[in-house]
Formats: sequence, structure tokens, C-alpha cells
Amino acid sequence: MSFLDDPKGAFADLTRPERWVLGVSVAFMLFLLGALLTGALGPTYFLFLVGLAGMYALLSFGLNAQWGFTGLINFSVAAFFGIGAYGSALMTAESSPIAGGFNPLVGLVVALVVALVLALLIGIPTLRLRADYLAIASLGLAEVVRLVVLNERWLTNGSAGVRGIPSFFQGWPVLSTFPETMPGLRLVVIPGSPIILGTSFWQSLLNVLLVLTFAGVTFFVLRRAHQSPWGRVLRTIRSDEDLARALGKNTYSFKMQSFILGSLIMALAGVFYTHLNLYVGPGDLDPITTFYAWVAVILGGSGSNRGALFGGIVIVTIREGTRFLNDVALPIDPAPMRLLLIGVVIVAVMRYRPQGILPPQRELIWPSAVDDRGTPETPDSGVREQKGGGGDE
Amino acid sequence: MSEGALPKEDAVLRVDDLQKSFGGLAATDHATFAVERGTITGLIGPNGAGKSTLFNLISGFYEPDGGTVEVNGTDVTGMEPYEVAEHGLIRTFQTPRKLEGMTVREAMLVGPRNQPGESFIKLFATPGSVSESESANLADAERILEDFEIDHLATQPATDISGGQMKLVELARAMLAEPEVLLLDEPVAGVNPTLAKKLKEQIRRLNEQGTTFLLIEHDMEFVMDLADPIVVLDQGHVLTEGTPEGVRNDDRVIDAYLGGGT
Amino acid sequence: MTVLGYLANGLVFSSIIVLGSIGLSLVYSIADFANFAHGDTMTIGAYTALVTFGAVGGLGGAVLGLPYGFFLALVVGIAVAAIVAVGTEKLIYEPLDVDSIGLLITSIGIAFIYRAVIQIRFGSDFTRFGIQSLRPIETLLPYGVRVTLHDVAIVASAVVLVAGLHVLLQYTDLGRKMRAMADNPDLARVSGIRTKRVKLWTWVIGAGLAGAGGVFLGLFNQLSPRMGFNLLLVIFAAVILGGIGSVYGAMAGGFLIGMITQLTPFFSNVVEALPIGPGWLATLLENLITIEYANAIAFVIMVVVLLIRPNGIAGEGAT
Repeated sequence: MSFLDDPKGAFADLTRPERWVLGVSVAFMLFLLGALLTGALGPTYFLFLVGLAGMYALLSFGLNAQWGFTGLINFSVAAFFGIGAYGSALMTAESSPIAGGFNPLVGLVVALVVALVLALLIGIPTLRLRADYLAIASLGLAEVVRLVVLNERWLTNGSAGVRGIPSFFQGWPVLSTFPETMPGLRLVVIPGSPIILGTSFWQSLLNVLLVLTFAGVTFFVLRRAHQSPWGRVLRTIRSDEDLARALGKNTYSFKMQSFILGSLIMALAGVFYTHLNLYVGPGDLDPITTFYAWVAVILGGSGSNRGALFGGIVIVTIREGTRFLNDVALPIDPAPMRLLLIGVVIVAVMRYRPQGILPPQRELIWPSAVDDRGTPETPDSGVREQKGGGGDE
Repeated sequence: MSEGALPKEDAVLRVDDLQKSFGGLAATDHATFAVERGTITGLIGPNGAGKSTLFNLISGFYEPDGGTVEVNGTDVTGMEPYEVAEHGLIRTFQTPRKLEGMTVREAMLVGPRNQPGESFIKLFATPGSVSESESANLADAERILEDFEIDHLATQPATDISGGQMKLVELARAMLAEPEVLLLDEPVAGVNPTLAKKLKEQIRRLNEQGTTFLLIEHDMEFVMDLADPIVVLDQGHVLTEGTPEGVRNDDRVIDAYLGGGT
Repeated sequence: MTVLGYLANGLVFSSIIVLGSIGLSLVYSIADFANFAHGDTMTIGAYTALVTFGAVGGLGGAVLGLPYGFFLALVVGIAVAAIVAVGTEKLIYEPLDVDSIGLLITSIGIAFIYRAVIQIRFGSDFTRFGIQSLRPIETLLPYGVRVTLHDVAIVASAVVLVAGLHVLLQYTDLGRKMRAMADNPDLARVSGIRTKRVKLWTWVIGAGLAGAGGVFLGLFNQLSPRMGFNLLLVIFAAVILGGIGSVYGAMAGGFLIGMITQLTPFFSNVVEALPIGPGWLATLLENLITIEYANAIAFVIMVVVLLIRPNGIAGEGAT
């Protein structure tokens, strides 16, 4: 049933939380649209926010592939994000202490390869560990990575960070000069407060298209993987690893695959961030980034890709909302406010809705196999309603 | 040590002089026995005789301190559980394992071994073959669920069914892995008599179709009725092996059960 | 500095780590989850003492260079850390219907809330207790040992607290029950121990010791809202080294990890002096064994211990 054919019916099909999320999202969009049209929200800044939301969504997708699918407690999200960001920055920036000046596509490939190596380095020792030991060990190893980035000045510029990073489309035909060649537009919606769309707007638009591409491809890959027998083995490991082993599944290998997949997606988020922010520093490897991703995933619903998307948007709202509040209303430092909100959201989710807001609801069987048999059934009640905190020990 | 063990010509599982101790306490003490192809072999013994430890050693969940395990003539000692499973030995667990967030049908589909769709690459390289095998597995799963007369549960959440039904699903799933020898750890513990009877019929039927079984069971009536031969374990070693009749009348077995072993 | 000097510094820092690691280990085994808010419980103790000391002042006399008022502040810091932990257990952890992984994740939220509240109230800058810094003790200087009377006070107080805990564990009914529960929670429950009460006392003792550790950390270095969270992983390393659930293991692990991190500069001198070949290995070691990587070394040790002896260096072998 497509939403366009039968909007009413499609709406009735949604679960209550789905309707709720849909309602809030629509209201939020209208609010943003209003802010845009009245000039309260600059269109370039708006696009920056969309890019940021896409980045957090990517980060959450990556964590979802590890924790949501397989139950791996990875507290080294920030390390992979940072490695992706640094990998790309060091290859492309003019001020890079090592290579520098390469095409951003080279940066992308190098970043992913380095992230793969790091995933193997962290994964090989820790993936045999009990779930809670994995949490502690991965947080410790992420800290080691951060210390290396901070202290090895010959490689990373140390605490000064890397500047002079080009846009992702540098050196591409057409796109590299697209923002400059586009004419400046002047829109007048409300008389007296015109909206100017200049070079920076077009640049932001390109960035948004880039992150949409990254996130779109990732979403497609993860959705197929989640519905596949491969994803089913991961879900079995999450519930009961011994059962998977008894049934002949090489769980260590599956865990490694899931860990690498997630890590590459996190590095992809880092690559995008590098070319969005045009500066990276050791502060980008702060553990808070890890926990932003965690909040997004457990809030959205562990194992749910659209939940991760929703969680990513909430994170940007918290991040930028606190800044906004600080600017207009409360003279409170936004950093601890963010921390407080993140903390409250974690506790509230675990207390009132441990399965998250949009837990995966439907049976996950390779779609064409189910269609062949003409039984596109869905269970009466949500399959995952019981519990979402984690696998049984 | 292994006195009373019967000679076996075509053993699908051979356990030789297996040892394992925890903190200086021997849980498995030079155990030796074999499971003849085509049999339903029972494994009984008083509480603490080391039956579950033995299962864990055979299936690769514990690493033995000494001795060997052979499946189908291959030495699988010290292999990972999944490797042991690849050689045709599948086990179930005493407490039914719940697969959260899956329907019964999904939980069943974890069973088949070597699915092409379990390779991440193939999901994108050859989605056709994934589809094909998934359809076939789905058909197999539905057929086995029908055989077990629980096909009406197919789309129920796997966590919402009764303990006895879970045991049936577990057995059905193990069959999808096409084992040569299936180790059942207390298949009817906590199962109501009607379902227990059904489980017994299913095990017998599957055995007639060629699957070899080794089962631990506390329900004497159940095991005496179903299994032949029966291996008796006491304090980690094989006390005797024989027909249900023989074991029932063996004084040493009675002593072991009464005295808790001396 | 001489070896003795490094050892003396290590002893002071170890005292703080030991105070932190005992509580983390007890809660890990008795409440059955890795409490990521433990570091921030230390921060609570430190800031409570800061406020208390600011309010009561010196109160006349002084012991070991520390005014009486500081010791009062220490006691209040311990008490508030314990009260906050018990309150959190009652209000948050106890009503939760999640497994130990869920509790672990929740504790991260709790850690952020603790830290955020402190940061909102006190800002994110470093601060110090209003106590004049002391010069190193003159008589020890010839031996290359640069410790102040404050450092002596830290070690002495830690020894008193740990001795008190030892007496409690060995000679009281509560202590025996706690050891039994830490050893085997299921068995303890079956044998009729009122686990809820023991659990509450575990929080009181664990968080109280953490609060004391936080106060001393503030005295040893400075106070900042991140002080506890930054130390959390080092404390985890100590707990894992000693074996989760073992109080005496936590003490030993805390001592070792504290020593290792403080002795890193000494080790780096040793590495430079040793004729290590091939040359690239020597260069690598010289670059890695530096003060900047002191914590990283502790974390790597922790991961190695997790891999080869998950029950701690003194515990039974891996099963």
C-alpha cells in the first residue's frame, strides 16, 4: 500500500508511536519552514543543520549495525568518526603534515581503509569478550586513539588540528565550481526581509546532497542486510550467542563483519564532517560523540534503521537547540545543558521505553522469498514490543 | 573405566577417555562411550553426574583437559562449536533459548546451515541465489512445522509461545540443520505430558527417517521407553551401558542413584 | 627524580585509585553492572567538599597541613556522595526493568546528569580548594622524594579508610554477607541473605569511598567537572586487573595501576638507557612510553588482562 494511493489507509496502518513521530516531524517541519520563510532561520544555516542531521544519522546507522543488529556494545564510535575525519583531512588539506592536496575521493578511500585497519585492530582482541567487557575495552581503546591523535604532532598536527580542508567536490568537473557559477538569488517572501541565496547556500546544498547520497546508500545496504539471512544470524547472536554457535554459525566472524560494517559507516560520517566543517581537531574524538550516537540509536529503537534516522535528527535538535536557547532565552552555557539533556534522554528511554520509540516492528525475511509464497503477513502485535534493553545473558 | 561400553561398528559419535575438571574437581572423569548410527542413545545419571558438562565438551563449548571426541570419524576435539556443527553434530539446550524480536518462522530459518544469504557479499553480488535458497528454506521450515503440528504458530513472536512449544520449535529448528547426530539436553523438562508424548513421537519418527539421537533426560519413563541403548554416567565416568531392561536391573545403577555415588 | 621519588608519587596516586576501585568493584559484582557513573560520583564528593570547606572555613587548627575544616568537608563529601548514590539506586536503577547491559547504558545517562549539574553550577574551569600549597618535606628531598604533608595526609587517610573497610568486611555480619554476595550473588540470594539491604550498603560504602577519592584527587591535582569521568577508565583498569568482585583484588589492582601510570616517566628513562635493538624498536618504545601515554598504557594493560585472565591476575584461570 503506497502512501500516495491511500493516505488515510496508510496512516491507519501505522502504530501509535509511528503516528506520534510522524505528527511531531510534520509539526517540526512546518515550524522550520515558517522560520525559513520569515527569515528567522537563514537558509544556509538550515542546510548546515540538515547536513549535520544526516551526519548523525550516518553515525547512528553505523552503531545500529553493531549494537542494534548484533548487540555489540561499541563505545569507540568517536574513534572511528575521528579516524574517518582525520584520514580524509590529512590526505586533502593544504596544511596536512603528511601527504595533503589529494582529491577528496582519494581521501575517502584512504579514510575507509584506515578505519578498516583500526576496526580489525580493535575488533580482533575485543570481540571475543563478554558484552560489558567489550564496552569498557572499546572505550579504553578509543581513548588510546584520541591520545595518539593528540600527541603525534608529526602525523596529525597535534592539538592545533588540521585546517585548509577543501570541499568534497574540489577537483570534480562542474561541481567544484558550481557554487561560484550559480547566480545569487534574492527571494522576498515577507516584504522588508529578503532571503539571499549566495555561494555559501549552493555550497551547503551540495553538501546536503552529498550526505543524502551517503545516508541513502547506507540505508539501502543496511535494510537489505537486516532482512537477509546474514542479518538473521546477527540478530540470533544478539539474543543468544550460544544458540548461534550450536547451530554452526561462526559467531566471531559474523561479529567481526558487523563491527567492520558499522565502523566503515562511522568513518563515512567522519569523512563527510571533514568536508562540511573544513577543520578537524582532537576535540572531535571526544567520547561525547560516541554517546550522541548511542542516544540516537536507543531513542530511535535498537535495530531500527528509521529509528536511527529519527534519533539523528533529535540529536541535532538537542545540539543546536541548546545553542539557540542560550542565545535567546537562558544565559546558561549550552555544553552542560546538552550533557544534561543527553543524560535525561538516556535515563528516560531506559525507564519508560527501553525498546526505543520506533523499534523494528515487522518480520524480517528476505522480501522476495516471502512474496513468492504469497504470505505477506505481519504479526498482530509488534514482535519486538517486549524488551529492547539488550540480549538476555 | 569404560567397562560395560558396548562395541560399536558404525559409530557416528565416539568419546574416548574424555576429562575435564573445574577447580580441581573432576566433572568428567575419563568418560568413554560411542553412539551407534541410527540409534536413540540415552544418557542418564544422578544429579551432578556430569551429563551437561559432557554435552558441552562434545559440542565444543568446553575444551577438554584430555581425551578425544570423534564425529563421523573426524577428530573434533578442541574445535569451536560451529566447526563441530559443520561436521554434523547439532545440540539443543536444557532451557529453551528465546530469540527476541523474531517470529517462530524467522527463528526456524536460523537453522539451515551454509545459507548463501549468510554471506554479506552474496546479498549484493547474487541476490537471486539468496532469494532462491531463502524460498526453499522457508518451504522446508513450513513443512517441518506442519510435521510437528505447530504450523499455526509460524508468525507468532518466538517469545510468546509456551515452554513446551519452544522445545518443539527448537527440535524442529535443529532438524533444519540436517544433523547426522542430534544431542538433546532434557527435551521434556518442564513440558506437559501431552506435549511430551508428541515430542516422543517426533523423535521416534525422525529417528526412523535416519537421524541419530543422543539425549539426556531425567524423566526415566520417557527415556526408558524411547532410548536403546542407555549410557549411565556417575561422577563423571561411564558406569555402564546397556538396554533399558539391563540398566534398570543393574545394582550399580540403583546404588548410584540411591547413594548419590560413593 | 629518583626511583624512590617516583614510587612516592605512585603511592599517593595509587591511594586515590584504590579508593575509587573498591567501590566500582563492589557495585560491579553486587549490583551486577559496570557503573559508568562511578567516576562522576567522585566528582560529586570533591565538589561537595569544596562547597563545605568554603562555608565552614579552617575551624582553627590543622593536621598534616590540612585545616580541621577540610576534614569536616571530607566527611560531608563522603556522605553526600553516598546519599546521591543511594538516591539514584532507589529512584532510577531499582525500578528499571532491564538487564545488566541496560543498567550499564543507564549509568552513562546518570554520569552525564551528575556532571552536567556540577558544570551548570560551577562552570567547566579548573578550581582548587582554598588551601595553601605546601612545599615538599625538606627531610625527604635528599632522597629525591618530593612529597608534601598533604600527600602524606592523602595516603594516611586512604589507609585509615581501607583498614576500616577491612575490619567491616572481616568482622561484621554485613561484611560477611557482602563478601558472600560479591563472590556469588545467586548463592547468597538462595541462602537467605537480604540482598536488597546488602545492596544498599554496597552503594553507601562504594560511593562513600569514591567520594573520599574525589576529594583527595581534588587536593592532589585540581577540581573540574570532568575529573571523575577522566579517571573512570583508569579505575576500570584497576578493577579488571584485580578481578571484578574481589575487594582485595581491587586494592591490589588500584595500587598497581596507580604505580604504573606514575612510574611511566621512570620507565621511559629506563627504556632510553637500555640497549634495545633493533633501533626502530627502541625509537618506538621511547616514543610510546612517555607521560602523555601513561593512561593509554593502563588501558592497554586492561585489555590484555581482559583477554588472557578475565577474572583478574589473582583470580582463577579463564573458563
